[in-house]
Amino acid sequence: MGAPATKLAVAGTMILETRGLMKTYGGVAALQGVDFALKTGELHCIIGPNGAGKSTFFKLLMGIERPSAGQIVFKGRDITRLQAHERARLGITVKFQSMRVYQDLPVYHNLFIPLRRHHRAREIPAVVERLLADVHLSGTGEEYVRNLSHGQQQWLAIAMAVAAEPEVLLLDEPTAGMSAEETTATARIVKRLNGQGTSIIVIEHDMAFIRDLDSMTSVLHYGALFAQGAFKDIEASVEVQRIYLGTL
Amino acid sequence: MANAATRLDRWLGPLNGPQTMGRGVPFWLCFIAAVVVLAIAPNFLSRYDIINFSNFLISGLLALSLGLIWGYCGILSLGQASFFGLGGYAYGVVAMNLLRAHGNTDVAFVAGILIPVAFAAVIGAILFYARLRGVYVAILMLVISLVIGTFLRQTADPSYTIGAAYLGGMNGLRPTSPDDPLLPSLIFGFGDWVAEFDGRSVSFYHLVLAIVVAVYLGLRCVVNSTYGFLLVGVREEPERTETFGYDVRLIQLSVFCLAAAIAGLSGVLYTAWGTYIHPDGFGVAQNILVVIWVAVGGRKDLLAALLGALVLNWISLRLASEGEFALLVMGAILVGVMLLAPEGLAIAIGNRLGRLFGHGAKVGQPAVRTEEG
Repeated sequence: MGAPATKLAVAGTMILETRGLMKTYGGVAALQGVDFALKTGELHCIIGPNGAGKSTFFKLLMGIERPSAGQIVFKGRDITRLQAHERARLGITVKFQSMRVYQDLPVYHNLFIPLRRHHRAREIPAVVERLLADVHLSGTGEEYVRNLSHGQQQWLAIAMAVAAEPEVLLLDEPTAGMSAEETTATARIVKRLNGQGTSIIVIEHDMAFIRDLDSMTSVLHYGALFAQGAFKDIEASVEVQRIYLGTL
Repeated sequence: MANAATRLDRWLGPLNGPQTMGRGVPFWLCFIAAVVVLAIAPNFLSRYDIINFSNFLISGLLALSLGLIWGYCGILSLGQASFFGLGGYAYGVVAMNLLRAHGNTDVAFVAGILIPVAFAAVIGAILFYARLRGVYVAILMLVISLVIGTFLRQTADPSYTIGAAYLGGMNGLRPTSPDDPLLPSLIFGFGDWVAEFDGRSVSFYHLVLAIVVAVYLGLRCVVNSTYGFLLVGVREEPERTETFGYDVRLIQLSVFCLAAAIAGLSGVLYTAWGTYIHPDGFGVAQNILVVIWVAVGGRKDLLAALLGALVLNWISLRLASEGEFALLVMGAILVGVMLLAPEGLAIAIGNRLGRLFGHGAKVGQPAVRTEEG
């Protein structure tokens, strides 16, 4: 399976780690040496102003883009050089910031594609039923995606990521464009997934949503980790407020 | 009705699915009727018409090959005719060299399919593993086709021989010496059993018809399988598909090779049909024509692409006596269809019929969003 795996000392219960992760685009640093660790079973939020490097961080974790320097370690194995599909097979998947659902396929087949890697074709209808019920989309299997509302498409995008049955789930702005009720429902979905043992990193702008998740939170600012801690401490931090609201 | 459709689905198994237009009883009855009419056409059409129909069906195969990669997987190749031409040359060269020894063209037939596949494997590996997409693939394929065509045009020198076959430059493939055999039509032989299909004969027409029906039905199974949904997944959201653990490059490469096999088969049949192959098939016009057939018929359905090729070939033959006028009409048809039914004429009509018979429109609905590729 691709690049030779360097066996590293398994660091406690860390499932995903980055060491000095850097990404520059034509001389502009999007990420400058991020050391990040996600514990097995942890729910972790990443916040930060626009352009802080949050989505770049996810692209590097997933393998959509290569880091300029640094290392990514999954369950003690260096995966920095692995392709995205190889990382997916190890158990990492992402819901991108833009939804990236299959517009030209019915809802059922949007889930069929990720499910087919783990299931026989005849088992899939039952699994789809369950997944759709989990994200409040029961009965939409035959619908073409373009006929769903924006919020429903977001839920489908989340359900597709869940259907990949990952150990680490990366959610980039799962509530973008959702109503308040939809956002609350999404928080419940994320917490339930985490309760079932999936390790999750969430990028979000919606503070109400993050408050709802009430998890460890990291703040990215200018491509570097600016602060890390429980959300209520982060929320209370004058420094964090400064980077969000400008000078106080 | 719904019950009958479900039973039909079960009975037809992998042939039926949401990725192909026409799944109901009316469709399959029409399909069988159309095949029967085509099969008995030699009884009421002239020999001249049948010879032309053979050629239309051969073009239909080429359209199917482009429809598969462009319509389903989003790979627009402006050089699909290069696989057609390579298949034709490979068939001709091997047939002329082995005809004396073997008494049949079995090996040539297989070579005409496998050599384009091998070529597609090399080119595709470079294109897709370099993660080239969209217009780059389209243009590179056209350039590759033109380069092969230009090379073959310059092979008029008598030194360009492969055994008994002389490449012959602009004049096309010919025997090296008067003692060598001419480019033969298809001759299949298994042991003592030998079956010859003269390109001008009714039996050749029936053979081509059978091959086209078999390839169409085979591809229906392919696109309605898990693999077929992955093709559409790669077309719609390649990165997303990758993050589900699928190697997108491998999917693209494999479907590219499958399409090359069908295009090669088409080239083999064309060469056997006319006992003639020349470098013009690698040119811009031929490559663009394939795209027009598929675009006018509808790229997101196999039958639509096939019908596009058959109907447009028929129209251009009708207009052939009108000279330059024919090209103008073809251009007007393309522009008209792109404006009125951008998803393709056969798909638009199929969706209309589908609604008439109470099924929802399934394939290539007028897209709400802007489309790429």
